[in-house]
Amino acid sequence: MKIFALSVFEAVPSGSATLLTSATNLSSFSFYQKGSVGEFMTFFSKTVAERTPQGQRQTVQENNYTAHVYNRGGAERLAAVIITDDEYPVRPAFSLLTKVLDDFTAKVPQSSYSNPSGIDFGEINAYLEKYQDPGQADAIMRVQQELDETKIVLHKTIESVLERGEKLDNLVERSNALSMQSKMFYKTAKKQNSCCVIM
Amino acid sequence: MPVQDRTNEFRSCVESIRNRSAVPRNVEAKQRLLHAQAKGGSKSDFTRMASQIGKEISATTIKLSKLAQLAKRKTLFDDRPVEISELTFIIKQDIASINKQIAQLQAYTKQRNAQSAKNPASRQVDEHNHNVVMMLQSKLATTSMSFKDVLEIRTQNMKESKDRTEQFMHSTSAAATQAPSNSLLFASQRNQDPMGDGSSSYRPDYKGKGRARQNGDVLALDLVSAEEGSGAPNGAYAQMQLVEQQDNYIQSRSTAIESIESTIAELGQIFTQLANMVAEQRETVQRIDADTMDIASNVSGAQRELLKYYASISSNRWLMLKVFGVLIVFFLVFILVS
Repeated sequence: MKIFALSVFEAVPSGSATLLTSATNLSSFSFYQKGSVGEFMTFFSKTVAERTPQGQRQTVQENNYTAHVYNRGGAERLAAVIITDDEYPVRPAFSLLTKVLDDFTAKVPQSSYSNPSGIDFGEINAYLEKYQDPGQADAIMRVQQELDETKIVLHKTIESVLERGEKLDNLVERSNALSMQSKMFYKTAKKQNSCCVIM
Repeated sequence: MPVQDRTNEFRSCVESIRNRSAVPRNVEAKQRLLHAQAKGGSKSDFTRMASQIGKEISATTIKLSKLAQLAKRKTLFDDRPVEISELTFIIKQDIASINKQIAQLQAYTKQRNAQSAKNPASRQVDEHNHNVVMMLQSKLATTSMSFKDVLEIRTQNMKESKDRTEQFMHSTSAAATQAPSNSLLFASQRNQDPMGDGSSSYRPDYKGKGRARQNGDVLALDLVSAEEGSGAPNGAYAQMQLVEQQDNYIQSRSTAIESIESTIAELGQIFTQLANMVAEQRETVQRIDADTMDIASNVSGAQRELLKYYASISSNRWLMLKVFGVLIVFFLVFILVS
């Protein structure tokens, strides 16, 4: 479950997309393959970003890579692309794209779109790293996980409460019996006193 | 029908204005009618523009009534969405253009106010023009209000017809859009919500990224009229008409959040069960407590008795010696006899 690349494009509706910023994680490929794979990632992202109409999300599969695109359009005509393997869950991928775009529009002013190499958006690398494990990074999935853990804990708690109930019943019986016996003890002791006064 | 056609009244008003303003200058009146000079021309300019606006408003009202009739139809299959959307579009454009014309008219009257002489007649005329503009604006406002109502009716009818279509034909899109109705959050709309969560409107606001426009398949009617600078009585209004299509991302998000919600509900139930069990066990604990108290008191009482007995036995020794002495005497007597 890996993310290979995450990139932000400026997608002009009629024509080409310009790469504004990107981050890649090609550690799973051998050293000699990294160059060509990286180029392939860039090309793939660019093509897919160009072919997605504004305001739409798309998912494209190519060999064993899956690309999720979200073309937000808007005033800045931004589109974000993420390339993952097959196992990565779809929904957190799109929420990651939306987050990246929001962050990008907040940080980078539109004026610097014409100068892509000057754009400094280091958080994209942080996002890439963080979202390698979607279960932890995506809020909805994390909440779901924590809730499941809590549920397990609660089930154990209920079992222990049931055991406690059993032990309490046990205790009740025993204390009842003990109480009877102590009463008999007291009566016998009292009888001792009242009976043999002669001697 | 909330729409009334008052063009004739308006025209009669215009005529009376013309006659009234012509009274003090009835000498020139005939000349004016013959020549249509600049000053008189400007008056009829205003009335011309106003009457044109009135005509357009009436035409728009007629179209609106037709649209309302179309929107009220409740048939499943004969619905004519193309016509309705075209008509809505036309009406929208008409309202926008009427708006612009009224704005122009108002600017024109303001300009005339700036240029007007100070004789009472023209002041009256200006006031009257101002009133006419106000009336036109209010008419436009009522027209747009009724337009909005018609659109609301249309949306409701569409929803109903979609429900009925689902009843007859089960389609996946229907199932997908019906998913939210199983959620607990909807229960508060129908009956008591067991979680006590009173949220009655299910608005999928996912962390502030709510996407109501989906995939470009949505027919959105954006009716935002320009607000008059003078604070005229037609406010801005907007209405969205959603044609529901599938959007996988949104659906998957909604299902994920629903599962979270059901998990939380389950957790709540587990907690209440837990609380119940502990409450049941409280009674048992109280019995145990009472029993142990009894045991303690019994045992201490018995010990007291035994102590008393012991004390009595040990203090009884002299009597015991006397009793033993009597026994020994009897024993000796028996041996001496035998």
